[in-house]
Amino acid sequence: MDMLTTLAQADLPAAMAPATLAHYLFLSAAMFAIGLIGFLTRRNLIVMFLCTELMFQAAGIALIAFSRFHMEQTGQTFVIFVLTVAAAEAALALALVVLLFRRRDSLDAEQWSEMKG
Amino acid sequence: MLNLAESITSLLTTATDAAGGLQQAAGHGAAEAAAHGATHATDVVMGPWYVLLIPLLPMLGVVLVTLTALLGIRTKLPAWLTVACLGGAFATTVVMYWNVSAGPAVTYGFRWIDLATGNGHRFTADFGLYVDSLTCLWMLFVTGLGTLIALYASEYMADDLKAGYARFFMAFNLFVFSMACLVMADNLVLMFLGWEGVGLCSYLLIGYYFKKPSAVAASKKAFVVNRIGDLGLLMGIFLTYVEFGTVQYAELFPMVEPYVELVKSGMAWDVPMRVGLIPVLFMVGAFGKSAQLPLFVWLPDAMEGPTPVSALIHAATMVTAGVYLIARTYAFFVVSPIALPIVAWVGAATALVSATIGMAQFDIKRIMAYSTVSQLGYMFCGLAFLSTAGAAFHVLTHAFFKAMLFLACGAVMHGFAGQLDLRKLSGVAFMKGWGIVGIAMFVGCLNLAGFPFTAGYFSKDMILAEAFVTQGPGYSVLGWVLLVTAGLTAYYTFRVFFRVFVGPRHAEPGDDHHDHAHDAGEHGDAEPDHHHGFHPHAPGWAINLVLALLTVGSIAAAGLYFVDKENHGWVGGMIHNSSAYTSAGSAAFLDSANIGMHVDDPVGTGHSADHDDAHGGAHGTLFGQDPHKIMYYVSAVFGVVGILTAAYLHGPKGPLGLFIGGRTKAATSRADGLADAMMPLPTYARNKWYFDEFYGALIVKPLRALSHVFHLIDKLLIDGLVNLIGSLPRFVASLIRPSQSGLLQGYAAGMAAGLAVVVVTVWMVIAVTGGGS
Amino acid sequence: MLLAMMIAPLVFVLIVASRPAEHARGIALLGSGVSLLLGLISWRMFIRPGGPDAIDPLAFSMDWLPSMGIRLDLGVDSVSLLMILLSCLLAPLCVLGSWTAIVKDQRTFYGWLLGLQAAIVGVFAARDLMVFYICFEFTLVPMYILISRFGSTNRRAAGTKFFLYTFTGSLIALAGLVYVVWFTAQHHGGWTLNIDRLAESARMMSATEQAWVMAAMLAGFAVKVPLFPFHTWLPLAHTEAPTAGSVILAGVLLKLGTYGIYRFVLPFTPVAVAEYAPLIATLSIIGIVYAGLICWVQTDVKKLVAYSSVSHLGFCVLGLMSLNHAGLQGSILYMINHGLSTGALFLLVGFMYERYHTRSMNELGGLAAKMPVWTCFMVFFVMASVGLPGLNGFVSEFLCMLGTFQAGGEGGQWGLTGYELPGVTWGVLGPWYALFAGTGVIIAAIYLLFLVGKICFGPLVEPVGHNDHPGPLPADLTGREIFTLMPLAVLCLVLGLYPSPVMDLLEPSVAKTVAVVQSAAAGESRNDAHIGAHSGLDAGAVIVSEVLPTVDSQTGGVR
Repeated sequence: MDMLTTLAQADLPAAMAPATLAHYLFLSAAMFAIGLIGFLTRRNLIVMFLCTELMFQAAGIALIAFSRFHMEQTGQTFVIFVLTVAAAEAALALALVVLLFRRRDSLDAEQWSEMKG
Repeated sequence: MLNLAESITSLLTTATDAAGGLQQAAGHGAAEAAAHGATHATDVVMGPWYVLLIPLLPMLGVVLVTLTALLGIRTKLPAWLTVACLGGAFATTVVMYWNVSAGPAVTYGFRWIDLATGNGHRFTADFGLYVDSLTCLWMLFVTGLGTLIALYASEYMADDLKAGYARFFMAFNLFVFSMACLVMADNLVLMFLGWEGVGLCSYLLIGYYFKKPSAVAASKKAFVVNRIGDLGLLMGIFLTYVEFGTVQYAELFPMVEPYVELVKSGMAWDVPMRVGLIPVLFMVGAFGKSAQLPLFVWLPDAMEGPTPVSALIHAATMVTAGVYLIARTYAFFVVSPIALPIVAWVGAATALVSATIGMAQFDIKRIMAYSTVSQLGYMFCGLAFLSTAGAAFHVLTHAFFKAMLFLACGAVMHGFAGQLDLRKLSGVAFMKGWGIVGIAMFVGCLNLAGFPFTAGYFSKDMILAEAFVTQGPGYSVLGWVLLVTAGLTAYYTFRVFFRVFVGPRHAEPGDDHHDHAHDAGEHGDAEPDHHHGFHPHAPGWAINLVLALLTVGSIAAAGLYFVDKENHGWVGGMIHNSSAYTSAGSAAFLDSANIGMHVDDPVGTGHSADHDDAHGGAHGTLFGQDPHKIMYYVSAVFGVVGILTAAYLHGPKGPLGLFIGGRTKAATSRADGLADAMMPLPTYARNKWYFDEFYGALIVKPLRALSHVFHLIDKLLIDGLVNLIGSLPRFVASLIRPSQSGLLQGYAAGMAAGLAVVVVTVWMVIAVTGGGS
Repeated sequence: MLLAMMIAPLVFVLIVASRPAEHARGIALLGSGVSLLLGLISWRMFIRPGGPDAIDPLAFSMDWLPSMGIRLDLGVDSVSLLMILLSCLLAPLCVLGSWTAIVKDQRTFYGWLLGLQAAIVGVFAARDLMVFYICFEFTLVPMYILISRFGSTNRRAAGTKFFLYTFTGSLIALAGLVYVVWFTAQHHGGWTLNIDRLAESARMMSATEQAWVMAAMLAGFAVKVPLFPFHTWLPLAHTEAPTAGSVILAGVLLKLGTYGIYRFVLPFTPVAVAEYAPLIATLSIIGIVYAGLICWVQTDVKKLVAYSSVSHLGFCVLGLMSLNHAGLQGSILYMINHGLSTGALFLLVGFMYERYHTRSMNELGGLAAKMPVWTCFMVFFVMASVGLPGLNGFVSEFLCMLGTFQAGGEGGQWGLTGYELPGVTWGVLGPWYALFAGTGVIIAAIYLLFLVGKICFGPLVEPVGHNDHPGPLPADLTGREIFTLMPLAVLCLVLGLYPSPVMDLLEPSVAKTVAVVQSAAAGESRNDAHIGAHSGLDAGAVIVSEVLPTVDSQTGGVR
């Protein structure tokens, strides 16, 4: 609740004023929205994967912002972990995408909709 | 925890006891037996150890014969082992008979079923043997005949030396063991072991020729029909335990005494109904085992077994188990107002019905089977007329002469390749080497027909006379029924004799597998000696020896009637000292001025008879005379008339047909014309009055149909219901399955929508609750 | 010791898995032999002399999840020990019986067979509800694999049905058991899953609660038994299962149901049992007659034997419902005897199937001519199954029926005000139940002799073309097969003629259960029972801590 009140009370930033928490959160939300929309609208597996990464990092930015705001290290620690996992996951996912591409000669996600109720 | 801890500790202690083993068990038994002796009026003493040999020797025989089979011995060794073991058992029985004391003795074997049933009572049914004179009587002829018939079978079964010989003698020994358990048991449950055990052996031996479908069906029928009776017996045992808290004879009999006293003092209706029900249940078992109406149908079919089996099991011993059961538990029957009258009516009806069926059969072995059923009816009547002595005497004489008749028939069957049709055999007694068989048959027929001064005559008279002496519901009618049946018996017995054993010599071989039948299909009217192809082989020494011994035995049995005249013969004396008598005797049912035992009012409806002058008004009469005396003449007349009728209708021309016969051919006789005139009755009788068809239509088929219905219900209804429930989740799933489109974006959109819903909800909650608080 | 009996088969599972497939059956035989040996040693230890101070050498106890009161508690009374011995005996026989029948995937087969053995020991040895339930459910997995991988044509459907049906039932039972655990925790302030303590507190539940808990538990156990009308999975499972699977299924797994009733339903909910025993007994009797008649019209030999199990197990449940000494002892003996005789029958049918590759009675007949030894065994075990006195089946059947007959004291069918008849005990059944159950004895004779008459006797009938392709096996039984059947035959005879050592062993356990059930159900007022049970629980804890010191600290911790 505290968090939300802070958010509500934050003034809109003046020109060239130092970035406040709200700025970061706005950035995070924007990135998440772009990622989500990209994931929903694109059919290319690699692009979709990039979009998920985008959402991932959006969440990371929010975490770091709050971490800084509360002057606590937990959030940042967590993001380090997320980055590590994301790196491993990226390697794995791209390998999978390559495998899938070899099977169908296409990166279209709709090619893989075999489970039809 | 409490349960576990206590059970473990108590288990440890009792387990220790259990580990004590046989030694302790034996001690327990000794104490038990001693306790009986101390607490009850009838002084039950510890029996000698060697009576245990009587069941154990046949058991040894089972083991030894099985060993010979395992070792692949294909000689007559199993037969000799059997004869030795059974002979040993017989010798032991004789020793037991000489040493039998006045009262019963119990010899303890080992613990069998023994447990606490709560309420401070134990259910004890141990392997113990109860020996009194009734036991001796039965065991004497069981082991004696067993030995002789084993000797006979050693030759009879010789065709099967390659296969089945050992199997036959294994079952044979097992049978004698089971019969010993049945007769010598000291409790009802061990008796039940023997009871079912003889049923098993009967099953195994009837189905001995297992390749014949008819034999298999007959064996199955015998076992199942017996089981129906067994259920009644089992319920009787349960009820006995519930009522008296014990199933051991030694404890049981003294407990029934008070009820007998009640009946004696005219308060029969004060006996609890449960007690009166016990004998009715026992009776059901007895009817099954002894082939009485309505459960008699298995016995004639049982003739599918080898003839020695028919002789021993289905004529002499096993089928008398029902008589034994009633004699053993006679006290129960005396106190029941309905049991004995039912026994009487069923016995007489069985005697008559099976005699009429026997008259119309052509298969000589079947005729003997029906005569067995009929004679068993007499025995039951004897029991019902309060003449256990008469019944037991008839059991004894019947055992001898009927075994002999069967063995003679068996010799014929053996010699003529399984031929049993009396229309296809004639003059057998005069063929070379068949003399002893002919004589044995003649003596046997005389006995069965009740010809004066034969053993069968005396034993039958004892029963017949009591029918008129004893007062009961319609007993004198039953007496006349039995008299007529006696005439019929004489007729059909001598019908066999006149047709098969005397007259022109003629023989057609049967269709059995037979080493000597080179040309089985050939037949003609020529002398068998000149018959080109078939040569009947006359019995060898074993068969002849056994037949000769039995002939002598059954003639001599008549003498037993005059021994110990005071107790109505030797058998009467034996009965006198047993549980079959104790109850009836101590209740002063015994008319001491007379021979035999009878109450004036077995129904017990408060009679006031003064037993001491029983010759007075309460005593039944026949032609205004004492039935015991006049019966000698009346029954003789019936018997002789029956024989003469047979001679007229079936006897050959000349002296052997008593000069009134006129038969010149094997296949036809004067009876044929008579039968035609009486149509359709002979056909009905030949078809056993359609009992089998009746049961088939009324019980077997509906039951089978019901089974099919159940099977369908099981498959369709019950399993269908289960499958229906099982398919419910699948059905529900099929409703929501389309939502799984398989499109990645579809799922993502769903997630986004879900997220949106969550966000909006949170937003609204904040808005509603006023955010800042 | 019990732990060793659980672990030993698992060790051999590992060995089986690590060795080549052709060694699997030998290792499995060795493994099951070891567990049989351990079983016999346990038996020896169990009946050895020792005073009340002696610590049970078989028991094992250690903390598992202390915060939930879950412990790895193993221990036996005579009932569970006998069941363990039965499973130990059947395991090597199953291996021997499958020696040549299983050719592919031997490692999987024998591995799971051994795993099943471990789970079964666990079920019977469990003194903790969690251990019991885990093992109880785990038995499904090996059995499912045995059926659906090694069965005959319709194996997958049979395996699935078996698994789902019994699993659903056990889940409902779990709900009931969880309620008891919760109830105990509520009323005694601490979690415990010790079966005996749960039983004590469960008896304090109100009559309505007991009825619901009983219904839930029965849902699990009645399906397992199987009690009419929950039996339809059994014929299918038996028909499709490989021989070893059928033997274990009939010999031991079905007994989990009756054992469950004995161990849980009777002591947990005696009041409800006393109220509903007539209903359950009626269902058993319907099962006896109904399944018996269905047997009579079967054409598949194995299905006939399977339905006969349904019929026979009816006697078992009936005996339990009589709630007296004779009935309970008879019922427990029945569990063992049925395992021996029906197990042997399944082995025999399996041996026949290996030679003829058919189980249809229409294609077979008169095999006595070709297989005399096989026929001897067949007739012997059929007679044991029919309940011929002198063989094992009789003693148990007799006692079950006797128990039923006499169980009708006050308010029962005997309609007595007191106990003036010496043979009547407390109970709610009576002679009519025994009579109707008794018709099952006749029907058993009908269908089993029908079976023997059809396939053993009569003219020889063999499947068309059978003699064109002689298999590797001789016409009659081999030495190995005879060796497999011999122990069962000997035990059938011994338990038929001299059952008293076993009965003496059972007597204290059974007496305890009967006392618990009767005192709880025979109509003391609820409040009295409540107070009495409270103090009883405390006393119980004290006694246990004396006898089993290892339990002591834990008990204190829990409370």
